[in-house]
Amino acid sequence: MNTLSFDSKRCERIRQQLDSYLSNELLVETASDVVHHLESCQACSRDLESRMRVRDALQRAVSNWPVPDSVRTDVVRKLRASQARSFAGVSVKRWALGLATAALVLFGLFAAEWLNLRRGEQLIASILKLGVSDHVICAIQGHNYPEVPNPPDQIREKLGARYAPLLQVVQQRLPGFELLEGHICSIPGSDRKYVHFITRGQGTILSVILTERNGAALPRDKLLLSADSDGLGIYQDHLSGMEIAGFESGQYFAFVVSGLNQKKLLELARGLAPALNETLRTTARLLLPNATTKWAKLG
Amino acid sequence: MFFRAKVQLESFEAAAMPHLTDLYRTASFLLRDRHEAEDLIQDTYLEAWKSFHRFELGTNCRAWLFKIMFHRLHHVRRRLVKASRLTTIDSPDGQDELAAEPVVPQEIRDEDVLSALEKVAVEFREVVLLADVEEFSYREIAETLKIPLGTVMSRLSRGRKLLRQELGEVARSYGISPRTKQAGAAETT
Repeated sequence: MNTLSFDSKRCERIRQQLDSYLSNELLVETASDVVHHLESCQACSRDLESRMRVRDALQRAVSNWPVPDSVRTDVVRKLRASQARSFAGVSVKRWALGLATAALVLFGLFAAEWLNLRRGEQLIASILKLGVSDHVICAIQGHNYPEVPNPPDQIREKLGARYAPLLQVVQQRLPGFELLEGHICSIPGSDRKYVHFITRGQGTILSVILTERNGAALPRDKLLLSADSDGLGIYQDHLSGMEIAGFESGQYFAFVVSGLNQKKLLELARGLAPALNETLRTTARLLLPNATTKWAKLG
Repeated sequence: MFFRAKVQLESFEAAAMPHLTDLYRTASFLLRDRHEAEDLIQDTYLEAWKSFHRFELGTNCRAWLFKIMFHRLHHVRRRLVKASRLTTIDSPDGQDELAAEPVVPQEIRDEDVLSALEKVAVEFREVVLLADVEEFSYREIAETLKIPLGTVMSRLSRGRKLLRQELGEVARSYGISPRTKQAGAAETT
């Protein structure tokens, strides 16, 4: 047996690197140095071999360590249970959230619609109030009608060519009522004028009034409509002790006002509205051939 | 929604379940208690499943699972220490000073190496297991254990030497004499 001297410092340095070499963590150049040294140094080779043997034994022993099937099945079972719980939880939360959101949206829509209707009702009342006011001031308080009906010619003269054709409509479309008076009224302190027919029947005075809209309009919400007559929406209200029904006709608001009950007044308004609308339209075309929608202004 | 969750779980199981045995064995050798190891594995998988949406498919699922397991293991150890069921965590008594290079048997039986491993302090044992059995890189081990790279290297070196030393004891018990080592000399034929 020969004993060769060797560079102990070099062996020491190489052995310090054997762990990293074993783990394949050395740089290529350093690993190459280690390999080169191992080729010529049996002691270091044996050291490496010993370390590799232990590592291999450890790997083998650990890989032979039994893993009970129950570990896998328990994990899978718990995962599935967790998923089911999670799904149920999420479902309940999402359903609850969904319901709450839907309720909130419905409430929001309902509130918006309710506000819209309230605003619409207020607008209708403010417009219909004109008709009630005109009727009360001119016919009821002013008593501007004769006990014996004015002759039609006289009324036509008061109304002028523009509105005279309406006379026949009022006479024909208000069964049971006699036309007492027809004229154009002015309102003190205001530019507004209105065409006023005063009739009598069924123990009460009934006015048919036309006044220019001047850009104002009744709301279009069908929920606010009281009736529909040949496409004309009729709105109704009870204001200052009077029943009133109103509708739009071209550039005009038309009102039927009296102390009749709601149902009777609405029936009369429905009968009157289409004919009145058509006559106004025809008159406007005859008098102002270029006017189609903007009918004649009150003179 | 249920279908999507089902598909996700299937995807999770496909990515994570193949690593269960590696995780379980590592947990077993670190906790030395099968029941604790099983609980740890279940907790690890449940936590991984909960955070699976954060896992990027195609990245290293195995390393991700080990990281989760060691994070939970930290809490388990603290609990066990409080319950006095685990005594050696950070104090490898008497293992700082290492004897000269031990001689390990040529044939190493599974029970011998596992018995030797059990005697290695847990902070070295875990690095040895991660490096030599699970074959993680130093960087992956550092990230998993949240320790510096240099610490990984020193613990691995020391852990391996402790293991060899314990196996040397086994060899001695079998009547295998340590090879006479001559400092600064090597034998050759």
